[in-house]
Amino acid sequence: MGLNAQKRLRTTISYCILVFWSFILLFPMYWVGITSFKNAIDMSIKATYIPFVDFQPGLHAWRYLFVDRLTWFLDPFMNSVIVAFVSSTIALVIGSSAGYALARFDYGGRNNSIVLGFMSQRMFPGALFILAFLVMFRELGLLDTRLSLIIVYSSGAIPFIVWVMRDFFEGLPVEIEESAMIDGANRLGVLFRIAMPLAAPGLVAVFVLSLIGAWNEYLVALTLTFREAITIPLFMTMQVSQTGYTEWWNMSAISLVSVIPVVAAGMALEKYITGGLTFGALKG
Amino acid sequence: MATEPQIYPSKRFRFEIKDNLWKWIFLLPAVAIILILLAVPVVWTLYAAFTDLHLYRIGDFETEFVGLANFEKLMSNRSFWRTARNTVVFMLGVVPAQLIIGLTVALALNNITRGQKLFRTWFLMPLMVSPVVVSFIVGRMLFQEDIGPINDILRNLGFEGVPWLTSPTWAMVALMAIDVWQWSSFMILMLLAALQGVPPDLHEAARVDGANQLQSFWRITVPLIMPITMTALLIRIIDAFKVVEIIMVLTGGGPGQATESVTLAIYRTGVKGGDLAFGSSQAYFLLIVLMIFGGAYLVLTRRAMGKD
Repeated sequence: MGLNAQKRLRTTISYCILVFWSFILLFPMYWVGITSFKNAIDMSIKATYIPFVDFQPGLHAWRYLFVDRLTWFLDPFMNSVIVAFVSSTIALVIGSSAGYALARFDYGGRNNSIVLGFMSQRMFPGALFILAFLVMFRELGLLDTRLSLIIVYSSGAIPFIVWVMRDFFEGLPVEIEESAMIDGANRLGVLFRIAMPLAAPGLVAVFVLSLIGAWNEYLVALTLTFREAITIPLFMTMQVSQTGYTEWWNMSAISLVSVIPVVAAGMALEKYITGGLTFGALKG
Repeated sequence: MATEPQIYPSKRFRFEIKDNLWKWIFLLPAVAIILILLAVPVVWTLYAAFTDLHLYRIGDFETEFVGLANFEKLMSNRSFWRTARNTVVFMLGVVPAQLIIGLTVALALNNITRGQKLFRTWFLMPLMVSPVVVSFIVGRMLFQEDIGPINDILRNLGFEGVPWLTSPTWAMVALMAIDVWQWSSFMILMLLAALQGVPPDLHEAARVDGANQLQSFWRITVPLIMPITMTALLIRIIDAFKVVEIIMVLTGGGPGQATESVTLAIYRTGVKGGDLAFGSSQAYFLLIVLMIFGGAYLVLTRRAMGKD
């Protein structure tokens, strides 16, 4: 076999592997997609795979969600939006300021230890926190409030942001900041007018990653909230435990509404997100 | 520094005083938040593990120190060891599978140029999807025993339908499949980053020296991607030890206790059952296992790689 033929064979096998794995990843999402257009009858006799061939798709699940029961679904949806955005914004401001400080100032030669101290939080199992959080927020009278989730999620995202952003700021040229300061700018101005805009790709990556983390979180939400402040994941599981019977088409429509925004954001910012994910992991 | 401008000495001095203030204003909020929300739970849970604290009795009864009683109870608690065993089995099932899939797909991705970005973007998708949706909605539909598509396809291929959620073994397999579906992408992207760091001329040089592709892979690629692979594996192992959400919503730990993980046991004991003391001792057990394991792993892999 010539070198060229060998190379072509390798490329063909590579594409086969990639297409196969893409299909494995696609199938469950495809299934949720078509189920949201199914009727009860399409799910009670046999498995149906292809719309218009196996079954007649209908919009009733979507109508149910957006017309009949909009208010029922809107509360948890808004809880998720508010909790995710507020906690990620707080974490971004506090975490990236600390990351900047650790990149630019000297803390008695202990900068690396401080960063490691932040990261040690990732080693601790979530199970260790839920019991303490339950008692803490109960004592504070904050159970079943969005505030409790915002506090927990922002503190959960800060270490990762500090870690990634410190390296990001270290990669920026310090000369621009120096000349701005000679021109009379103070540190706060330098951080928000010069360093932050230059670090925008990194900030976007860590912001979206913490947004997704808060949006999808389940264990803490299950422990701290139960009625008023529930987020979408909790709302979904509660639908079934209440009725004992699952309306899969409605659940599928809700799933899509909750999944599509974050997946779209993540995939649109693929370059930064992959960078944030792998970089955040590799620097350890 | 010699290159620093010396034109405005007095002004520079003023900046430094201000900077000394900013230095703390920027750092302290983060430190304070992490100290309160990390250190307080860690210390409080340690305290609780040595008491008889119970959620429904807080404030009504004096909390008493019970010494090591909770840990003694833990050691002889069969149900807890069952969950420990389940967690280890889960980890041993998912991590090697993710490594093999991750390496295969990353090598394939590294092999192509056209469409690489497209595949990379698509492979990011499962990492963005909530575990509740993956496990609860997708998992329950796909693994339905009577009319779920997986059993339907198996039957059409001439196999028997599998009792996914009613058989202890198959329920575990279903959970593993969900975790592999979701987290293989992490391995793929990490290993792709590692492979892209291997200089191509090394392979070229090896080929000129008469090495075949397999030799070139084992002698050049594998050692060079080893550090990142080891880091990625450690992250996945620790995450697998902490598994809880997909189990809660797919099987609830069942049938029986066949798929209950340590973290699910802690939730059940401490949050649902209100036995904060016993739950805390379980949480500390998990933490200590993770720390010993993580520490040993780091020492051993560093030593092994130092020898290479």
